[in-house]
Amino acid sequence: MATHLAAPPGKAAPEESGRGAAKVPLRTAVGRYRWLYLMLVPGVAYFVIFKYLPMYGLTIAFQDFLPFLGYSGSPWVGLKHFEELFAGPDFGRLMFNTLLLALLHIVFVFPAPIVVALLLNEVRVSFLKRSVQSLIYIPHFLSWTIVASLTYVLFAADFGVLAGWMRDLLGDTSKIDYMAQEEWFRPLIILQQLWKQTGWGTIIYLAALAGVDPNLYEAARMDGAGRFRQLWHVTLPAIRPTVVVMAILASGNLLDSGFEQIWLMTTSLNRSVADVFDTYVYYAGITQGAISYSTAVGLFKGVAGVILIFGSNWLAKRLGQRGLF
Amino acid sequence: MSKLFGTAPDPKGELQQAVEKFLGKKLQITWVPNAEYTDKLNVTLASDNLPQVMVVDPHLPAFVKSAQAGAFWDLTDKLDKYPNLKPSDERSALNSSINGRIFGLYRMRPLLRSAIVIRKDWLDKLGLKLPESVDDLYDVAKAFTEKDPDGNGKNDTYGLIIPKWPGNYASASPYDVIETWFGAPNGWGERDGKIVPGFDTPEFLEANRWLKKMVDGGMINPDFATLDTAKWNEPFHQGKGGMIIDVNIRSRQVLDLFYEDDKENYGDKVAMVGNLKRSDGQKFSYPFTGYADVLAISKQSVRTEQDLDNVLKTLDKLATKEGQNLVTNGIEGRNYKVENGDTAALINEDDPAVKVIQDNADDAFIQLSTKGTVDIGGIAYQRVPSGKPYQDMLTLQKRLMEEDLKTAVHNAALPVVSDTAVARGPQIDTIIPDARIKFLSGAITEDQLKGEIKRWYDSGGTQVTTEINDLVKKLGQ
Repeated sequence: MATHLAAPPGKAAPEESGRGAAKVPLRTAVGRYRWLYLMLVPGVAYFVIFKYLPMYGLTIAFQDFLPFLGYSGSPWVGLKHFEELFAGPDFGRLMFNTLLLALLHIVFVFPAPIVVALLLNEVRVSFLKRSVQSLIYIPHFLSWTIVASLTYVLFAADFGVLAGWMRDLLGDTSKIDYMAQEEWFRPLIILQQLWKQTGWGTIIYLAALAGVDPNLYEAARMDGAGRFRQLWHVTLPAIRPTVVVMAILASGNLLDSGFEQIWLMTTSLNRSVADVFDTYVYYAGITQGAISYSTAVGLFKGVAGVILIFGSNWLAKRLGQRGLF
Repeated sequence: MSKLFGTAPDPKGELQQAVEKFLGKKLQITWVPNAEYTDKLNVTLASDNLPQVMVVDPHLPAFVKSAQAGAFWDLTDKLDKYPNLKPSDERSALNSSINGRIFGLYRMRPLLRSAIVIRKDWLDKLGLKLPESVDDLYDVAKAFTEKDPDGNGKNDTYGLIIPKWPGNYASASPYDVIETWFGAPNGWGERDGKIVPGFDTPEFLEANRWLKKMVDGGMINPDFATLDTAKWNEPFHQGKGGMIIDVNIRSRQVLDLFYEDDKENYGDKVAMVGNLKRSDGQKFSYPFTGYADVLAISKQSVRTEQDLDNVLKTLDKLATKEGQNLVTNGIEGRNYKVENGDTAALINEDDPAVKVIQDNADDAFIQLSTKGTVDIGGIAYQRVPSGKPYQDMLTLQKRLMEEDLKTAVHNAALPVVSDTAVARGPQIDTIIPDARIKFLSGAITEDQLKGEIKRWYDSGGTQVTTEINDLVKKLGQ
């Protein structure tokens, strides 16, 4: 989808001009498309200044960095921090927690907007459709802090609404502190994500669905396809490219568990299942002051993310889909 | 850079003007709310823009590393030149040092501050006495839970209120205090000639078994693992829980809450006792460190010996009786007057302008004082609150402090910093406090708790223990 939008009507798509550059001398190419290149400048400058230059700071992952001594004065320690991370007692747990949360995310959270979009697409009353859509994307605008507080109010052992119901309806006075139970941590995280993100995610899919040619449905109906058949043979293939692009983009964030949400939900009792790379980097770097070590952790996470994005893009192409790049 | 417990003072405010006039210098102070202070401190230490003087915990790993790399002035041999900067208490000075080297002026605090704050009206209603031993505490907690102390006919109260503790092991949490009552070392202590961590002792386990019995019996708030420390007083004030184990000044905070409700009878709601005896009658009291953070001077912004001399001269002036009174109590004649030659009595409490001075002193400027505190005064005038319950509480506080000091159990490893502990902090610091809470909540068994202690040793704790032993020996204690 993104590549379609990037190509202005009547002009060559960027990837084609890239290929053409082999034949046309670069100067001519630049001259011909100078306004397009000019428009590129702010974007490139942004990435160079704010994304690439700061990467210089990654060198501290290979040092025992002390700000007082600076980049040049701090001792180089090679891969010490990486060894400490990989050999340390936390790595397995961090990896497991991060990957499991990512897996749960893929299984439950990623398809949710697709399902909801398909369901909404079948709603024929446009007023109903639009109001439902607006209602379910509102949670997207609430901060994680508010979501966590809401969860606390609902689930807290002492005064939680849910605990109250359990008491009143079931006579259950066990006062389970859901916020503090290890086994409740992941369900709560996934529920929060579903609640907060599903509605927002449907927007893109609904847009893709709106672009499906109505003639296709008509043709399918002529061939005797029912509602479900239409969904299977027309709607799903039509939004497949969008799903693939969204999936590739999501794969790069696979190790991003979402710092804020998890940090807010972490307690002493659930830390062993809650610790993920994101929160660990903050804990080690900001609250414990182990800057170099936490940079090494963050760098590892970043590299793994890049590998995942390239890998899934390659996989998408291998499966005959149009990849991201 | 300093801590803040309220709204930041206006730099043009009356009190800051007064301090600046007294010092003959303009002050530029970065006030950082207490709750985010450690984070901000770590970030600041990682930046290249350090303030000249900063309030800092001298054993914070990032500070230890910076100080040992030479980012802060080593003041050990420099303080003698300044008449008011010499440590007034050697033990506290040593406690606040890094392996015997002083990198900052410690901010004096009373050594013994642990106490139990109790709902007095509940005790009276149930006809109970103040607890003296851990067994008494258990009985009171049980009665508070089961005998309907608030008389509303519902089973909706519990004995002891414990919050989600932000610090690690041996950071003066209610757990740490109780373990010490049972005879466990406070942090680190000697066993058979070797210094061992307190959690590796039978007393530690016994104390936690006892606590677990209270948790299982519903005598502790069920959300003890998640209750925010900022909301600690609420259940006490709202009549849900009856006891708080914390610093003795908390009695003042809860008195404030009850005072707002009922300006006549607020004194009937709050009682306080000090440290408790063990079942066999032996008493071990939990002392604090004798200091709370130090004022450290950055080499990056105070470059030469000459500059350092200037800063120290300023701090020396601030450490005079007059200076300490200014930051601790405020402006004499405006918000307080001197009574009996040595106490500060608040005046003009209803005047909004005076209230600003008072708040600025209490919430902010008192953080700059190294030799004065509100409750015992130090070299500053001791504050005398106006209400009689407040005065009684303060008297009690002083008496308990003196009494408990005799049985104080000191942390043998306080002045030393193990390199491994600093380097491995992220990996091992949460093991013990997490395991302790899991054990108390029933998530793990006692054997698993012991397994976690072993995991601590395996993850670097063995090395930490060896280093601590060496360092303490070297320090010659």
